[in-house]
This record gives sequence, C-alpha cells and structure tokens, in this order.
Amino acid sequence: MNSIHSSSLRAADAGVLPSVWKLLRLRLRITYNSFRHAKLRKKIGMIFLWLLLLGFAYLLLAASRWLLGLVHSPEFAQYAGLDLRGILASIPTLTLTALFVGTLLTSFGVLLQALYLSGDMDFLLATPVPIRAVFITKLLQAVLPNFALFSLFGIPLLFGLGLSSAYHVIYYPLAILLMIFLALAASGISALLVMLVVRVLPPRRAAEILGFVGAMFAFACSQAGNLANSFSGDIDFSGTRIAGLLVLANTRWLPLNWAGQGLVALGESRWLSGSLLAGATLGFTAFVFWFALVTAQRLYYSGWAGMQVVTRKKSRPSFRKAVTNKTSLGLLRLLPKPVLAIVQKDFLTLRRDLRSLSQLISPIIFGAIYTLLLLRGGNEPPPGRGEAPDWFINSFQVALTYSSVGMSLFVGWMLLSRLAGMGFSHEGRNYWLLKVSPVGVVHLLASKFLVAYLPTLALGFIFLTVISLVQGLSLLEFAYSFIAIVMCLAGMAGMLLAFGVAGANFTWEDPRKMNSGITGCFGQILTVIYLPISFGLFVAPLGLAQFLEFPLAYGYLAGLILGSAFAAGFAIVPLWLVRKRVERLGAE
Amino acid sequence: MTESLIETRDLVKRYGDKVAVNSVSFDVYSGEVFGFLGPNGAGKTTTLKMIVGLLQPTSGTVNVAGYDVQTQPRLAKASCGYVPDTPNLYAKLTGRELLRFVGDLYDLDRAQAVRRMDELLRMFELANAADDTVDSYSHGMQQKASLAAALMHDPRVLVLDEPTVGLDPKSARLIKDILRQLADRGAAVMLSTHILEIAERMCDRIGIINKGQLIAVGTMDELRMLDKTGQTSLEDIFLGLTGGAEETAIADVLK
Repeated sequence: MNSIHSSSLRAADAGVLPSVWKLLRLRLRITYNSFRHAKLRKKIGMIFLWLLLLGFAYLLLAASRWLLGLVHSPEFAQYAGLDLRGILASIPTLTLTALFVGTLLTSFGVLLQALYLSGDMDFLLATPVPIRAVFITKLLQAVLPNFALFSLFGIPLLFGLGLSSAYHVIYYPLAILLMIFLALAASGISALLVMLVVRVLPPRRAAEILGFVGAMFAFACSQAGNLANSFSGDIDFSGTRIAGLLVLANTRWLPLNWAGQGLVALGESRWLSGSLLAGATLGFTAFVFWFALVTAQRLYYSGWAGMQVVTRKKSRPSFRKAVTNKTSLGLLRLLPKPVLAIVQKDFLTLRRDLRSLSQLISPIIFGAIYTLLLLRGGNEPPPGRGEAPDWFINSFQVALTYSSVGMSLFVGWMLLSRLAGMGFSHEGRNYWLLKVSPVGVVHLLASKFLVAYLPTLALGFIFLTVISLVQGLSLLEFAYSFIAIVMCLAGMAGMLLAFGVAGANFTWEDPRKMNSGITGCFGQILTVIYLPISFGLFVAPLGLAQFLEFPLAYGYLAGLILGSAFAAGFAIVPLWLVRKRVERLGAE
Repeated sequence: MTESLIETRDLVKRYGDKVAVNSVSFDVYSGEVFGFLGPNGAGKTTTLKMIVGLLQPTSGTVNVAGYDVQTQPRLAKASCGYVPDTPNLYAKLTGRELLRFVGDLYDLDRAQAVRRMDELLRMFELANAADDTVDSYSHGMQQKASLAAALMHDPRVLVLDEPTVGLDPKSARLIKDILRQLADRGAAVMLSTHILEIAERMCDRIGIINKGQLIAVGTMDELRMLDKTGQTSLEDIFLGLTGGAEETAIADVLK
C-alpha cells in the first residue's frame, strides 16, 4: 500500500506537458476503443470515408495548383481583363481568417460540452494532475477535430497557392505553424466566451440556445441559395466588384490579416516585412492563448463562471393559467383526459426545448421562403398556347393550380417527419411515466397522432390560404384543396407515426439525436411515394373530367372518394398494425 | 387476514442466456412496508420493473391489487404508483405541470387533482419551486417530485426503487414517515434499498434476493432465525446470506 501511495505522490510532481500527453492519450484511447468496438460495417465505412477525404484533399491540392497557376498567367489576366494579383495575395488572409473565425465559433459548443456538460471535470480536477494540463487538454480537444477538418481544405489551398506561385520553401511549414497558433488562440477566446455565457445562463440552457441558433443558421444558409437566385437581379455579383471587395478586405490595419500577408511576403522572399508580420502574429496569438488559458483556469477554479448572476423567474402566470385550466382548449376539451394531457404536455415540452423547436421552425422558414418566391415569381402558365387542344390547356391549368397546393403538403411532410416520426421517441427516458400509467394503446396513439397532426394541419391551412390569395383560387378550389390537405396529412401522419413506433428510441440525450435510424428513414421514403399518389388521387379526376369533357363536379366527387379512401386507409391501417408494438414499447 | 396487494409467482426474466430473475415468488400485503434487498446486479430493479409493468416477464405472473399485470395492465397500473431509481422527469415541465399531467393520466377529477397537487407540493416543500421547470431542480428535488407524482392518485400499491438516494436527512425522514403512514392507511409499500438501517427500521418484512433468486423472506425475527450464526443485525444477516467470503480478498488488497 505504501508503494502505491508513494507512486501517487510522485504523480503530483508530474509536469504540465507529460500530464497533457497522458490526458490526450486517454482521448486517443477512447477514440480507438469506439472504433474497435464499432460494427464491421461502420468500421469499413469510416476507413472508406477517411480514404475519400484524403483523396479529396489531394484532388483539391492538384486543382488549386493548376487553377491558381492558370490565374497567375498573364494570358488569363489579359483575357479576363482583371488584375488578379490582389485576389491571389488575399487567399492566405481569407483562409487563415476563416480558420480563426471558424474555430472560434465551432469550439464554443465543444468547450461548453467539455468544460461543463461532460461530467469529467470534477474527476480530473480531483486527481493529482496539474489544473493547467486539464485545461490545455480540453482546449486541444475542442480544437483538434475542427482543425483537422479545416486543414483538409485549407492546407491544399495554401500549398496549391505556394506551388503555383513558386513561393520559398519556408512558406509551407510556416503556413501550418500559423494555422496551429491561430486555432489555439481562437479556442482560448472561445473558452473565455464560454465562461462569460455560463456566468449568465445555466450550461444546459446555453447548449440549447446554441443548438437552436446553430440549426437555424445552418437551415438559413441552406436556403440562402434560393433567395439569392431570386434576388440576384438586385445585387451586383460581377467579378470586378468581388475582386475589389477582396482586395479591400486584405487591409494591413486588421491584425487578423497579418498572418496571411506575412506568409505571402515570406513566400515572395520579402524577409523583413514577412518576418515582422508573421512574428507579430505568432507572438500575439501565443499571448492570447496563454492569457485565455490562465484566465479561464482561474475563472473556473474560483467558481466565478459557475455562479449565474441572473436569477430564475419565479412566477409564470401563463403556466399557472394553463395548469388551473382556465385556457381555452376549444374542441380539444372533448378529448379523453389522458389524451388531452399528453397533447398539452407535448406541446409545452416541444415549445420549451429550443433544440426541438429548431427542428419545428425549419419547415416554417422553408414555407415562408417558398411563399416569398411564389409571391415574387407568380404562377402564370407559360405564354403562348400554340396548337395545344382545349382539354390539354384545361388539364394543364388544373395541374398548375394544384401543384402549388402540393407545396403546402411538402411543408407538412417536413413538419410531420419530426412530429409524427419521432412522436414516441420524443418521450425519451421519461417514457416510464406513460408506461406505468393506465393509459391505453388507443389513447396513446390518438394523443401522439394529434400532437403531430394538429400543428401540421394549421401550418398547411395557413400556407394554403396564402397560396389561394396569391393565385386567386376560387372558394370551391380552396375548399377542395383544404379537404385534400386534411386527408393527405392524416394519412401521412398515420404512416410516419407507425414507423416512429417501430423505430422508437428512448435513450437519446440530445433531441437532435433522437432519429429512429433506418426505420425512420424508410418511413420518410415511403411517405415521399405516398404523398404524390394520395394528392394525385384528389387532383387526377379533375384533369380526367376535363379530358373527357364531363362536368367538373364528377371530377370533384371522384377525387373526394378516391383520395379520401386512400388517405384514410393510410391514416388507420399502419397504426392498427403497430398497436401490439406500442404495448411492448419501453419494455427494454 | 390482510389482503395480498402484490403477488408474484415463479417470476422469471431472462436476457438471452443470462437469468436476471429466477423463479421469484412472494407477497406484499395491505398495510405493510416490504423491503427488497440484494447486492448490486441481484435482480431487484428488474423485479420491481416487472411488478409495475415496465418489463415483461419471461414467465411467471404478477398480480397488483388483484389484477394480473399481463392481462389487466391498465387496472393494475391504475392501482399502483412507482418511483424509479433515477428520477427521469419531463425536464421542460414545471413541477406543477408535471403533477397536473400525472393527475390527468390517472383521470383524476380536476378540482381534486389541483387540491392533491397543492397538498403534495406543500408536503414535499416544492411549493416555492412549483412554477420552475424540472430541469432547474436539484437531484433531491427531482426525487421528491417523482415521489409526489407517484402519490398523485393515492395508490393502493407503491413501489419504490432506492427512494432515499440523494436526499438530505430531513427529506429522507419525510419520505420514511410518508411511507409508514401510507402503509398504516392500508396500502402496500415495496421498496428496494441498499441502506440496511432503513430496511431494518422501516420495513415490516424483508426479502433478500441474490443472483436472481429470492433467498430469504420474512420479518426481522424470522430472518434472525434463518441465520445459523445467531447474528442480530440485518447487515450481518445480509452479508451472511449473500456471501461474506470477500472479506479475505479485501484484507489481501488492503495489506
């Protein structure tokens, strides 16, 4: 026992760097173990992905070398009528700035998790490992994955520029060194930002808000292309304008630009200015990292960051109102009490968890963007009817009218995929509460169906109303479209809910990771097939009536019967098929 | 004769080749607190989960308040309250909303539910935090909220898995008093615990499970008679029955 104790005392004398290495080895071991214990399919997939990424990096290097070499040539400058030397010189600045800002933003979430939510800080700080080593490891842990990802794009680009410009050999190691220093400084600042945020908000709440903002940002970026296309006429995207902006951004007054400018200067053998700029960057970033490290460590250890300065709101009248049953529930009041309770509970929890909310808001933003595009573009048939017969023009008009209505179904599909597809998984580890209560399968399915169906129907109705106003649909067309939406969404909700039951996952920690895997994907694929068929059964008889020159009323009647029967079948049968599975859910 | 409110017969739970619970049979009667003891991994939680209908037994039967949990699950569940070892509660509901939700699940009358909710919140000293969301509660507060939820419908049978873990002495005492009162009013209370002092003081009868098998059931006096060495404390009886051979190994490690 004494010898064991002496060893532990020796550990207390260990230096910072050996301790950092010890802790990093632990992370590597965890990564290796998760790879080793993964399924063979996953292992092969991961190896394949790495090979693919390496191949991609090589391609990027070759492509950037060739393209930048081409751009360097005087012939190209003459042909394009642009002086591109300024743009080329700004590439390192842009790349390194992107690395810095990217690391600053992405490491925030990782550090929040690593410092406050991973739960290993107390364990590590209780061991005889220097506190600074723990913090350095945490910062490295936050930086390394994103740094590796960024290097995959950044290094080929920088090296490609160096090769095409025949830069001095010192350019290459210095490029990597600057990347490392900038990434470390960014992660240090990020750690301080985490401390500041956690001072105001509880870490879990901060993580929720971060998740919400991240999801919204990602979705907005993904949809930006559509809006940019639509508004491209209003903005000057010309090459000269962009080149001018890039050169303007590469000003020496910004310290962030020193790294890139120093790198280019050294590459071009301008030793004095290059050494000054690169040296200043290295010194400044090293100081930022050291300062951030020491400050973050002090703030954490003193408990300063953990003491939230904002107190919780004590009274929430709206909650009380909801609980004391004074709110208007309309027809929902007719539902059995357990069904109503689950519906109310789900609406409350979905609304309050920002990470869930972000998944629900995405379809609404999507709908808003397409409504905007529709408003800008209108929905007129192509000009000139040529020699087309009347029946074709009439049928085409029907298809055109209802194709926009179909868009509201697509928006509904996006919302239902989350609400119905993960209706049961949404319960997570709390499912035991429903499982031990005397709520029957029918009530459980009905409540989850309503939780998914009602908001989607409301969204579909709003979207349909806007489309009707934009397109000037008649009252009859509006009513018919509404019935079609009511039925098609019901069928889709039934199907997705049934697949959600089959692939229910109650073990998630983060709502964004409750995806029910292959079963859920399968459900989504099937609903993509179901949706046009179901809606087509409502619309096709109208076109057929036009083609056969029957009164349109026959078309409406046939559409109602066929479409409603088909959709109702899909709303009921899948749920009936999984009723036994619901009984077994949560029984591990 | 008091009524048997929990009745397990030849209860078996297998996970593949591993037998977690092996032919367990016992009764818990109206008006008694039944302690369920056993080493880690002995099958306590598995047995409790089968009683409340969270797990389907591989074979055997469980009756709660006279209802078969397999064939009449809703009736059995309506009579039963359950407090799990980890209080997983809806993090984004307030304490008040959580209790109201549970009241609705058990189809309680609105006015009655509100009255009951207020009583429980006051009793568990949660009234001040009743309008805060559960994720802002400490572990002890969540544990109390979980117990309040289990008591909302005034169950005839209460099953608790390690109910005093993470509670301060005052809250632990409160829970012990509540369980005693419930039993005195005719309910059957079954709890698993590692704290033998609680079991010894609180429980009318004790069941000891080891490696999935129920190795002893009885009052403290009956258990003392089972032990040939004449041990008097529950700790000694427990260690004697579940194996104290580790003592030598412990001494080796600590040398």
